[in-house]
Amino acid sequence: MASPSESDRKIITRFLHKTLHAVVASRVPRLHHAAAGPASPKNDRWFHLALDDHSSPADHHGAVVDPLVFDILLTRRGCSDVIVERWTARCVPPAPWSAASPHHPHDGSFLRRTYKKCTILLRSIYTLLRLLPVHRIFRLLCSSSQPYNYDLCHKVLSFAAPFSRAQEAELKQYSFAPVETMLGHLVVSVQYRPSLTNFNLEVSLPTPPLIITDYVGSPAADPMRPFPSSLPDRMSHPIVYQYPSRGIRTVAAPSFDRPHSWNSASMVHHPLSSAPGPPDSELLPGHYGHLVPNQRSSMERKGSSGFGEFKLSPPCSTSPSPSPPTRVGNSQLSRLHSETSPVSIPLPATENNQMHRSPNFSDPFKSLFPPPSPRSTRTDLSFRESPSKSISFRKPDGFSLGDIHSNLHMHAAYKVIKDGRDDSGRFSALSSGGSPGYGFSSSSRQSIQDDLDDEDFSYPFAFDDVDTSDSQTRSLDGKEASENSGSHKSQEAAVGILVHMLKTAAPLRQDQSCSMQSLEPNGEASISSSVMSRKACDALEELQSYKEMKNLLLSKSGAKLQDSVKQRKESSETLS
Amino acid sequence: MNCETCQLKELLVVPTEIQDVLRCILHTIIFHRALGLVRPKDVECEHFELTYVRCGDHEIEKKIDEKIDQFIGWVEKHPNRKGQVCLSFYEVKNKHATWFGNKIERLYWEQWYINLHVLNPKSHGKSHYTKAPISTGENASEESSSRHAALESSLCEVLFQIIRFADEKKDHIPTVQNSEIISFPFEISTPSSSDSSFGWHADVLKRMLQTGHPSMLS
Repeated sequence: MASPSESDRKIITRFLHKTLHAVVASRVPRLHHAAAGPASPKNDRWFHLALDDHSSPADHHGAVVDPLVFDILLTRRGCSDVIVERWTARCVPPAPWSAASPHHPHDGSFLRRTYKKCTILLRSIYTLLRLLPVHRIFRLLCSSSQPYNYDLCHKVLSFAAPFSRAQEAELKQYSFAPVETMLGHLVVSVQYRPSLTNFNLEVSLPTPPLIITDYVGSPAADPMRPFPSSLPDRMSHPIVYQYPSRGIRTVAAPSFDRPHSWNSASMVHHPLSSAPGPPDSELLPGHYGHLVPNQRSSMERKGSSGFGEFKLSPPCSTSPSPSPPTRVGNSQLSRLHSETSPVSIPLPATENNQMHRSPNFSDPFKSLFPPPSPRSTRTDLSFRESPSKSISFRKPDGFSLGDIHSNLHMHAAYKVIKDGRDDSGRFSALSSGGSPGYGFSSSSRQSIQDDLDDEDFSYPFAFDDVDTSDSQTRSLDGKEASENSGSHKSQEAAVGILVHMLKTAAPLRQDQSCSMQSLEPNGEASISSSVMSRKACDALEELQSYKEMKNLLLSKSGAKLQDSVKQRKESSETLS
Repeated sequence: MNCETCQLKELLVVPTEIQDVLRCILHTIIFHRALGLVRPKDVECEHFELTYVRCGDHEIEKKIDEKIDQFIGWVEKHPNRKGQVCLSFYEVKNKHATWFGNKIERLYWEQWYINLHVLNPKSHGKSHYTKAPISTGENASEESSSRHAALESSLCEVLFQIIRFADEKKDHIPTVQNSEIISFPFEISTPSSSDSSFGWHADVLKRMLQTGHPSMLS
């Protein structure tokens, strides 16, 4: 069993610790916001006052008779710290010569009385802490989420320099009644500022927004500005993108040193070619992989999105309006295109092709495709079944790659006729900004999907089944039309047969694959011209066949008419 | 054992402020005398920029609110009058059985008197306090705000008074004999509704007879 003096010492030590705990918990916002630690019933039992554990300060390790001084400081921006409160707690030993030194009984009653008085004293301290002016500041700092130009902190000292007279004049003091212990009198006092109106305490203004004018990719930025080398390593998929006035650029990852051939002449006719292109120096392999953020920022500048996973792209223009690169999620196409030189495939100016009318740069994928048709939204075909398997991206909002591909069959020729600059149906269908085929990385499919989920996504090669007008008259085989021209059926039947022929016309797949493989720097013009000529021949043959049919029908009808006239004459003669 | 009595400074309040003022004062006193394991709860006054401490015991809060409602009911029936709420701590001592049953004697060892002067905002004619004609319009609002500020300052002084009294007077407190939050029984006395000034004094006399000690003014 502990001696009375040891028990007293323990009570005093615990009391000092508890007092410090109470003061800090109601004065330091930082500790108030700190996460509460595990509950400590043992600490709560002392003086029957349970305080939050997260604000528990370190134990007072000094001697019992050593004073404990804790200052509450008001810190302000640009000003020195000001002591707004000073709490002092100490056990004052009785003077040895003092006659008032009591002889306390050792039956424990004195100890219990001491403990009870310490308990009540702590409650008084706890209540007073809430009445002092600083507590209002503490409440504001704890409750408000707004930043203030001041803060409260504390210092724990075993000795503090006394205040100057001027400082003491500004302070008020309150001293609690001392509690008698076997080791002396436990004294607690506080010096505090009765008013804090002299301090300019206010909500600090938020930092004004900084406008960065020379952000990477801005027109004012240095296009040669290097990027940090911490680019992600997920650049295994080559990416092909279209570059205005520079043709198609392909990237064969992971090699960054592979040279590329850039063709600027093929993009002259591109509707977007009016946009200023980058200087040729940007196309050098040395800038390879450096301009991803540039490009991205240029995309963002135009309001585009979805390039979060666009990991690698060759150097591109930092001009204000470069055409957005697009991605195809199949490496085969990427490899295929990596073997070709950049070719620009301008978007044909068709009624269904809204991109020519209003190219949308807010979304890089929006600008690439004509508006969708209702039928094509319902079709669900896998685009990956295409022979080349080069273009694959997820179906947006009911679309599928198969939709694109099926429409390719039907409208590739149509687009070629409409725009004599197409090199292949596939690429023309995918390009609105004149972009040729693209290499998509598989990692970017999701971002593509996000982009493609846009309602305004324009589905390429959209057309209506019901609309059998111009769109279906250009994919005929001229030989088949000529073979049917000699039929002796009625005009309606002939037309019906013609329609049937158009519907069951063979796809142009073989033609497209051939045209893709034959992409050359100057292949665009030759391919388009050959297709044009072929289609013109077919058209002429068709026209001739129609003429023959017409003449035949007319001749037959004329012959029949003559026969009928002769018969009538003969009959009339006989009758007469 | 002496009965320590504390007469708190009189406060000038309007009916809407009674609840806030009485809660602040009563809970502060009880917190000083609740020597059981307490998990204090900080409460901000509704009408004043003051924070006081509660014990966190729902039974105590309920009992205090009931007594406050009683006092408010009395104020409504006796407008523009001074009222007093008394918080008393006592010990229970059984006496011997008498002809009429066992009489339980209460030994009051501490009493707190809360003095309120309730002003009725609708009072007509002269104000009982200032004996001046009641002003209207902007002056009335200015007076009201100045009165409210003065009341807040006075309430703060009353709380300081409670702390000082509770801190200075500890020797008369009995020994803690239980582990409950409220270590000592207490009661809150309010003027009875059918009471007249004579009846209020009768309550004081009755209490004096029960304690057997003359009331000591602090």
